[in-house]
Amino acid sequence: MNCFEFRKLLLADPRARTSGQDRHLAECPACANVAREMENLEARVHDAMRVPVPEALAERVLLRQKTRVPALRVWALAASLVAAIGAGAYFYRTAGNTEEPMLVAATLGQNHPAVAAIAYVVDHEPQLLREGRSGDPAVMRSALVKLGLKLPANGVTVRYLGKCPVPSGTGEHIVLQTALGQVTLILVPNHPLGPRVTVMDRQMTALASPARLGGYILVADSLDHVRRIEKMLM
Amino acid sequence: MFTGKQSKFETMVRAYSAELYRYAYWMCRDRFLAEDLVQDTFTRAWQAWDGLRDDKAARSWLYTILRNERARLFERKRLEIDEAQELDDLIDASSAGPHEDLEMRQLLSALPVGYREPLVLQVLGGHSCAEIARIMDISEGAVMTRLTRARLALRKLPGIAATRKAKSV
Repeated sequence: MNCFEFRKLLLADPRARTSGQDRHLAECPACANVAREMENLEARVHDAMRVPVPEALAERVLLRQKTRVPALRVWALAASLVAAIGAGAYFYRTAGNTEEPMLVAATLGQNHPAVAAIAYVVDHEPQLLREGRSGDPAVMRSALVKLGLKLPANGVTVRYLGKCPVPSGTGEHIVLQTALGQVTLILVPNHPLGPRVTVMDRQMTALASPARLGGYILVADSLDHVRRIEKMLM
Repeated sequence: MFTGKQSKFETMVRAYSAELYRYAYWMCRDRFLAEDLVQDTFTRAWQAWDGLRDDKAARSWLYTILRNERARLFERKRLEIDEAQELDDLIDASSAGPHEDLEMRQLLSALPVGYREPLVLQVLGGHSCAEIARIMDISEGAVMTRLTRARLALRKLPGIAATRKAKSV
């Protein structure tokens, strides 16, 4: 691959990096500079595009749809309204964020990154923690920067650092010890994870979210903990 | 039967309304219109639900519906879109504000919608070039060209250009 081909692909889709691009990147400092510049640009574009979503948008959509169902009676409409307001108030009170619904694994399928992350945490993480291997902190820092995340200076310690399988290849697998308990953070730089979603499976909750240049998955024992840890990482 | 349909529909609304809203916003740059578009999209999706044969295709299907609803709305209101405006002129005319997001939002707003749309679908929606091509009903090559041109235009943003110059010195 030459510089022209590399840049053509990079400008069309910076996140879809091919092995040919990776090889070229390793041997061409000029294109490496361009790639870094594009990472910066992509992060800024992503952040700027995330305009705030109106509160309780989904509830309003559902309310309108229900009022259009002809067989629905007035009391059902009233109940929907109460439910919508209640749901809105609940989300506002608990998290102030109604963007992601809680789904069950069957809805997404076992291959979804969030569902697969829960399976990995439950089935493999205990053994990995016992083995106590440690990855490269520099790689972790680089991945965090790419995703616009940071570990808080206090209250969080890294218990394990390694690699784990994700649908697009490998991710950075980090186990954090926090005041809220043990939390798993999986960083997937350079590969989008699809839309933001939370899922509950095997008594664990996972949040998969796109971020600047890639995405991340948080796995904890409750939705509340997932959201609180996410706020700490922002 | 109806309960299953209703349940699937609710799941879809909760899963996709936020990202569709952002897509709609960047298509029309108006928060109220964007919400109307999302509402109309799901109304039409509910009416056409039986035509959805593959649940996995639901997301792209919704984007396509929203796109059609927007076209219908703009046709009705006779809103004009000047796609012929030169990208370079737009970039040079953009004002550099103190806040990075605001500056970038102004620049994105200045991009012709034909360039902004695939960029939003890729950066926010995480769609591949092939998926964007299907949603926009254009060739994959055309999508890649538009994305390339959009990014080349955004690279001229003062902050980005300054970084590039500093590196080259």
